[in-house]
Amino acid sequence: MSFLPNHEYSSITRFVKLGDQKRALVSRLLQYALVHQVLEIPFDEIIIRRTPEGKPYLVCDDMKLAFPNFNFNASHHGDFVAIASEPICLVGLDIVSHSVPKNETAHEFIQNFSSYFSSSEWYHIMHAGSSDEMLHIFYRYWCLKEAFVKAMGTGVGYKLDDVEFHHTNWNNIFVKVAGKELKDWKFWLLDLGQNHSVCIARGHPRTATTSYRTTLKRIEFDDKEYYNGFHLPNASFTFRTVEDLLQVIHGADRVPFDISTKCDVSEDEGSEGARFVQQ
Amino acid sequence: MASITTSSVSFHVPCSLKQNQVSNLKKVSLSFSGTSFPSLRLQPSRFRVACAAKPETVEKVCEIVRKQLALPADSAVSGESKFASLGADSLDTVEIVMGLEEEFGISVEEESAQTITTVQEAADMIENLKAKKA
Repeated sequence: MSFLPNHEYSSITRFVKLGDQKRALVSRLLQYALVHQVLEIPFDEIIIRRTPEGKPYLVCDDMKLAFPNFNFNASHHGDFVAIASEPICLVGLDIVSHSVPKNETAHEFIQNFSSYFSSSEWYHIMHAGSSDEMLHIFYRYWCLKEAFVKAMGTGVGYKLDDVEFHHTNWNNIFVKVAGKELKDWKFWLLDLGQNHSVCIARGHPRTATTSYRTTLKRIEFDDKEYYNGFHLPNASFTFRTVEDLLQVIHGADRVPFDISTKCDVSEDEGSEGARFVQQ
Repeated sequence: MASITTSSVSFHVPCSLKQNQVSNLKKVSLSFSGTSFPSLRLQPSRFRVACAAKPETVEKVCEIVRKQLALPADSAVSGESKFASLGADSLDTVEIVMGLEEEFGISVEEESAQTITTVQEAADMIENLKAKKA
């Protein structure tokens, strides 16, 4: 924790479970390492704050022109911690671990969430076949919804049954909100390890929630600029260990970051060591 | 000789609650007798009126939360505890609310469900919903 500024300590120690503390710590380290690498801001000058809804953002007066709207999002669940950033568009990231419910059947578990899915999504989940398949589909849709909501910065307060995801075998994913397709949003869903999914959402800055919008440098872009930002290739994930991350922080081993770069950290809940994955 | 009559009055006071700085208006019903005003307990870190949910309600919520998050029986869970700090992710929060609905026989709208972040908030909401039902 000594690598982080003091004000971040309580945001980590507030977690009761050690695993959650570890994930929170690695998430913070990733955020600082990312900002340092991409924007070349010295560590002790990096200021990351959170909106009232809890979304972290960089406080920076002098943003590099190449990244007019640098913003990032991190997520941690299960064995992984990941981060993604975008230079122009909003980015949202979510990881879900496909955990099997303990005290109830998969069907019973999923029923709890029925009001958060549109009827077509629900149909897809319910007609999946086996319990395992149902869970997989359920978690993937949940992951998409979370990434979308996180990109906008609204936290979880959003009518999720109005948010309907469409895809062709989990490719070419797009979303309809209240029946209308959002053409300036894109989504990718990837499998991570054995039973994790990760989703990246990329969308137009003007869709950000009010509080998050104030943290962005620019909301409006001309069509061409936005087109370029929107159609940046989706970099794949790179896996790194926490040791690598700490080396980056120390400046000993500079690894080039793509402007749309993602890092994953895989970590065993019980062990001291951790591996992290970064794209 | 003068006599003073006391009467019990109940009225609705709109309270502005700051939860994650999205303000919600909640109706609070207070009853008091005599001429003194009830004291409103203000929590220093937030602008809110604590509707003083019964301790049993808070305790029941703690129990449900502990169960959902697989926390040991002696773990420190109180009104102040934030779900996220106890390890709840978005899925857990939904399940906790469902557990509360079943336990207390209430129905919570999605929008309200997603504004609850602490045990106390959950207990207060339960009391409000039960009062409305009565």
